[in-house]
Amino acid sequence: MKNRIQIIAQIGIMRLQADTEFSDEIIIVSGENGAGKTTLLRCLAGLDDSEGQMLFHGKTWLDSRAGFVLPSQARQIGCVWTDVALLPWLSVAKNILLGAEFEDAAWLLELAGLLEISALLQRRPSMLSTGEAQRVALARALYKKPSVLLLDEPFSAQAPAIRQRLRVVLKSIQGKLNMAVIMVSHDVEDAAKLADQHWRMREGRLLKEIEMTGMNKVKQA
Amino acid sequence: MLESLFISLQLALVTTVILLLIALPLAYLLAFKSFRGRTVLEVMVALPLVLPPTVLGYFVLVMIAPDSTLGRSWGSLFDSSLAFSFSGMVLASVLYSLPFAVQPMQQALRSIPKSWLEMASTQGLGLRQTLIQVMLPAARGGVLVAAVLSFAHTMGEFGVVLMVGGSIPGETKVASIALFEFVEMQQASEAWMLALILLGVSFVMLSLVYTINRKGLNMVGGR
Repeated sequence: MKNRIQIIAQIGIMRLQADTEFSDEIIIVSGENGAGKTTLLRCLAGLDDSEGQMLFHGKTWLDSRAGFVLPSQARQIGCVWTDVALLPWLSVAKNILLGAEFEDAAWLLELAGLLEISALLQRRPSMLSTGEAQRVALARALYKKPSVLLLDEPFSAQAPAIRQRLRVVLKSIQGKLNMAVIMVSHDVEDAAKLADQHWRMREGRLLKEIEMTGMNKVKQA
Repeated sequence: MLESLFISLQLALVTTVILLLIALPLAYLLAFKSFRGRTVLEVMVALPLVLPPTVLGYFVLVMIAPDSTLGRSWGSLFDSSLAFSFSGMVLASVLYSLPFAVQPMQQALRSIPKSWLEMASTQGLGLRQTLIQVMLPAARGGVLVAAVLSFAHTMGEFGVVLMVGGSIPGETKVASIALFEFVEMQQASEAWMLALILLGVSFVMLSLVYTINRKGLNMVGGR
């Protein structure tokens, strides 16, 4: 399914510009700190305001000319932010189920197995390590089988060995669920192993990898 | 004496239940929304903190007098007077204790991390679900404090209920007024007794508030 974004946003001093097309594939977004990676994800999630157009899975998310904005709740997205925001009074399982219309025990167990959190389902978030909490947040984002997955450095707290396994898991789930994954990462391995497309951000502008090769790259150097 | 205590408790209970229902939407508005007239609303809610109770009582009395719009419609509906009645006292108490219900809730709602609310919306939770599944559990300490303070503050009313209720024995004579009358009539032992009971109730209530605050039932913050 073709997805298309063409947006401009002004968030504080950051001016974000992105104009691109992609299908249901894995996109790695990289760039320096303050280049606008998180802001881009927040605009896609509808948490920050932007202007222009967004079309995902044949559904309009944003059409400024028509004055239309689809609220975050209706976008069918899954998100993992650097602040994982697990609710402390709910068990891990209840956190994962948050916002789901019904409980699919088999899917919950499968997901927990894949993300190596099966043993943690009855625990409270306060008993989790940072890495575990991050995997729980990923499970929560995936549980509802979103059409678009927005990940902001989702493996940052994972040890190298498990990071390797999580990449394989993410790739296989992405293929199975037919979703677009947009993932901010500084890890070159993520880009090498996962990326169908690689976006770079610089000073708020989204540059495709392809534009960074050849003449441009020479000029940059 | 027992009668007046019972009326006080009843008044406090009814007032607290009504206040929780009214204060929640108000606290939500004040915690999260910016709108025209926000400051006015905030001031109105806080006014009973500084207004002499007799002033508030006077306005309520004028508002519910039998020849007023509210008094007339109440009279035709229930065939009774709102002034100098228990219902009238409830109305006045709700207004009088409003800040004690709104402010703790407003503070508790405002201290919910923004990331939790954003998470709720990207997880697809609508406003009602977010309120039930995220905001209220997160702010439950604030809601409890609001309930306890509303109850205690209503128990401690004097000027407002005297003005609006008129101290009718068995109907609108609450404990604080009964105490005043005991003193006036130099019934020292009854006065002592009632004063001690009211002191005890207030002490227990405030102990509850401080325990809730210390135990961090708010669930918010780094504990």
